[in-house]
Formats: sequence, C-alpha cells, structure tokens
Amino acid sequence: MKYDHDVIIIGGGPTGSTFARLASQEGMDVLVIDKRKEIGTPVRCGEGLGQREIIAQGLDLPRQCYSTEIFGAKVVAPNGKSIVWKDNETNGWVLERKIFDKWLCELAVEKGARVKTYTRALEILKNDKGKPNGVKISHGGREAYDVHAPLIISAEGMEAMMARQMGFKTVHSLYDVDTCYQYEMKPYDHENLIELYFGNKLAPRGYVWIFPKSDKKANVGIGIGGNVVNGKKGNSHSNGNNNCNGSCELLDGAAPKILLDEFIKNNEQLKEASTLVDFGGVISVGAPLNEFVKDNCMVIGTAAKQVDPIHGGGIAVAMESGILAASIVLKAHKEKDYSKEKLFEYEKKWRDTTGKKLTKRLMLRKVLEKVSDDDLNHIFNTVTDNDLKQTMDGNFAGPVAKVLAGRPQLLGVLSALLPGKK
Amino acid sequence: MNDGSDIMITIKHDGCIFCVGCSSVCPVNAIEAVGTRMKVDNDKCINCGLCVKVCPANVICMKKGAKEKPNE
Repeated sequence: MKYDHDVIIIGGGPTGSTFARLASQEGMDVLVIDKRKEIGTPVRCGEGLGQREIIAQGLDLPRQCYSTEIFGAKVVAPNGKSIVWKDNETNGWVLERKIFDKWLCELAVEKGARVKTYTRALEILKNDKGKPNGVKISHGGREAYDVHAPLIISAEGMEAMMARQMGFKTVHSLYDVDTCYQYEMKPYDHENLIELYFGNKLAPRGYVWIFPKSDKKANVGIGIGGNVVNGKKGNSHSNGNNNCNGSCELLDGAAPKILLDEFIKNNEQLKEASTLVDFGGVISVGAPLNEFVKDNCMVIGTAAKQVDPIHGGGIAVAMESGILAASIVLKAHKEKDYSKEKLFEYEKKWRDTTGKKLTKRLMLRKVLEKVSDDDLNHIFNTVTDNDLKQTMDGNFAGPVAKVLAGRPQLLGVLSALLPGKK
Repeated sequence: MNDGSDIMITIKHDGCIFCVGCSSVCPVNAIEAVGTRMKVDNDKCINCGLCVKVCPANVICMKKGAKEKPNE
C-alpha cells in the first residue's frame, strides 16, 4: 500500500511535538494533527517544569516561554508549618504554556514535521487484518478524508479517544483522577518558590498550589480526588439562561472550586487579589496503561497515563516518553517493521526506568491519602528538606523510620512504603 | 446504549473550560470534543453521572424529562 506519511501523531502537545521533532530530524515523514485551533490553547495546567528536562534535551528555553524562574518548593502542613526544599535539582520554571507548546511544535516543524491544527481525528482506519494503517480526519469540520501511515501514535492527552479505538483501555476511574480548578491571580508577593499546601479539609486527597509568575502574578489552584464528595454537582443551569426549572438531578461529587475559594478567603494576601484567568482540568494520578504498543500503533505521554501520581505533573514525563518512543520508532522505521514486538522495546524501557519511579510515587500517593491532618502535622514536624528529597527519589526507609520513631502507631499505614512490601 | 430513562446529559457550554475531563472518565465514549465544544451522544450515554461528578467547572447536568429535545 502507498502511504502518505511514515507516521501520524494525534496530538500536538509536548509529547507529540517532542516525538515529531526527533523523528523528523532523522528523516522520517511525520504528520502531526491537533484538533485545537491553536497549539497550546486552552491552557489547563499549573505550568510548572523542572529545568533538568529541557537541559537534558540540549534545548535552550527562550525567555518568552516562561513567566518566571523558580528555585525550590515550600511545602506547608495543615497547621501552617512549612519546609523549604531548595537545591540544585529544584530549579525550574513556571511556563507560559501557550507559548511553550507552540515553541516545541515549531521546533518540530523546523526539523521537517508537517503540523495541521483544527484537524480532528474521526476514526482509526484499519487494514483487512485489523491493523491500523491510517486516520480519517476532518479539518475545521469540513468533509472528512483519509491519510495513511504504517504507524499511528496517540499523543492525545487525557481524552485519548483514538487510543480507545486502537484498543487501549484509556478510560479513567474517578479514583485515579484529580479534578482541579485554578485562577491566575494578582498581586501576590512570592519568593520564587512553588508553594504546596496539604490538609484533608483544605484539599482532600490532593493539595492547593501557588505557582509564582512574573509581575506579582501566581497560578493558584487546587486538585482533589475525583472520588471526593464535597459538594452538589449538576446545578449549572440554575443560574444560567437554560430552561432548567429545577429539573436537573443533583449528584454528590468533587467540587474543587468551592475549596479553592475557601482557601483564598482565608489567605491574607490572596483574599485581596484579583483573578485574571479561570481555568481547570482533570488529571491522571493513577497507574499507567497496561500496554503502550500494539501492531502499527502506540500511545505516548498522558494518553498512556504516564503522569506523576504525586503532583499530577505530566510535561516532564511526557517529553521523556516522546524521546524514548522516537528512538525506538526510528529503529523500527529503518527495518520497516512496526510490529508490536519491535515497538515493545519502548514499553519495556519505559517501565524499567520512569515506570519504576512512578510506581513508587503511586505507592506514596496511596499512603498519603490515608494519613490524617494530625499525622501530617507530625510528619512535617519530623522530616527535613533532605527527607523530602529522599522520599521523592523513592528512598522511603530513612524518612519513614524517623516518622515512626515519634509515632509508632503509623506503622500500619506507612508499612506499605517499607522494603519487602508492595 | 441508552437505558431508556428520560434523563439527558447536557453541558452548559459558556462555562465549560474544555478540559475534556468528562470524556476521559466516560466509560462508553459518549462525550467527545468537537470543534471548540464538548458534545454528548445521549444515545450512547448510560446516565452513570461520572462526568457530572468529575467536572471541575460544574457545568454538566443530568436533566430529567428532556429526552425529546436535541442536545444543545
């Protein structure tokens, strides 16, 4: 069969663009389609990114891609006690995602990738053996047409509808997502630290974040477990123009905005600040997909649920995934072999490296959601910035021993983090 | 497959932040981003309410007795 491209990537976010850049620069014919009218819009993200991820790729982040530099994190316990974690690994940026995503995409274009915006994938085309060999697409809702390639990659992010058509189980459970609401606010005097506030009342199974931005601005947001029940959901018509007449059924569910507004009301600085942008989103905080590759197709980045379960950060993990996938796909391309066996090296390597790290983070998330505010206060009283670093690196034993020394009754909850346990 | 009840999922578009959280949790692929809107296919919908519960902007409703009306 005659193909139009070597590979079609669905989604022009950081994962898709990174993959496209690396595959194009080695001579592959790459098509990226994105259903959005503009790459990078709308933003639904806290916009934090560590510097390591960009430096490791040999890239130089242009000044306009970030709002401000950050030098570390301040983690705040329910009782207000905070720990500042600041070392050479905690440098990063709070990005301007709109500009950052577009920049990454432009880099791919400069290497030869073809990008089409406002272009929606309607259907995965398959050959007579049921293997993907193309995508039915539509530009701006106009008449659909087929494009063919021997490899189809889903870099679709949370939605991952085409990945579902390729047979991947990308549906999320409420337990494995966080639902988030965020404002960009001004003025907020900050110390160029990411601030994270924990507490079961404040943000059940999640946290409130303040990410500093330039000119005394900050992204102030909250993420709470999708299965949390803290409000009535489904009354959106009651104050709108629709003829709802109270006929909407109210459900108990997670209402992040209510808790975020409460936090802001109780914050000396923020209660006087203005909001410049309202945004929100739903993020994956569970385990990655049980498979990333099949014959002639693969899933990368957030679409494969490759997200840090502790903070819900996806950009760094996604770009790493794009880099790894590109290196394996280039090998497959040389041999014109896009079988599952050939592509599986990407999945295996990912699970052996990033996957291991994220599995530990998931264990930590599941333990933290069982800890009471009083216990959290104890933990924050006991651990140091170095313990935080150890914990995030997956070396739980030292910090856990410290915490247990002062509060042995936590053994039941924390034992999951000790060696020999799963 | 709709369960035959007279319940319909509707999304209030002017408050929607287009985060696609609803489609990410929909077990029957009934919600999809089309153009700049989230579109619900009420024939596929099983009225499980997961999209209502997860929506960070709280703009999804389960409307009773609205089945005959086209989706907005």
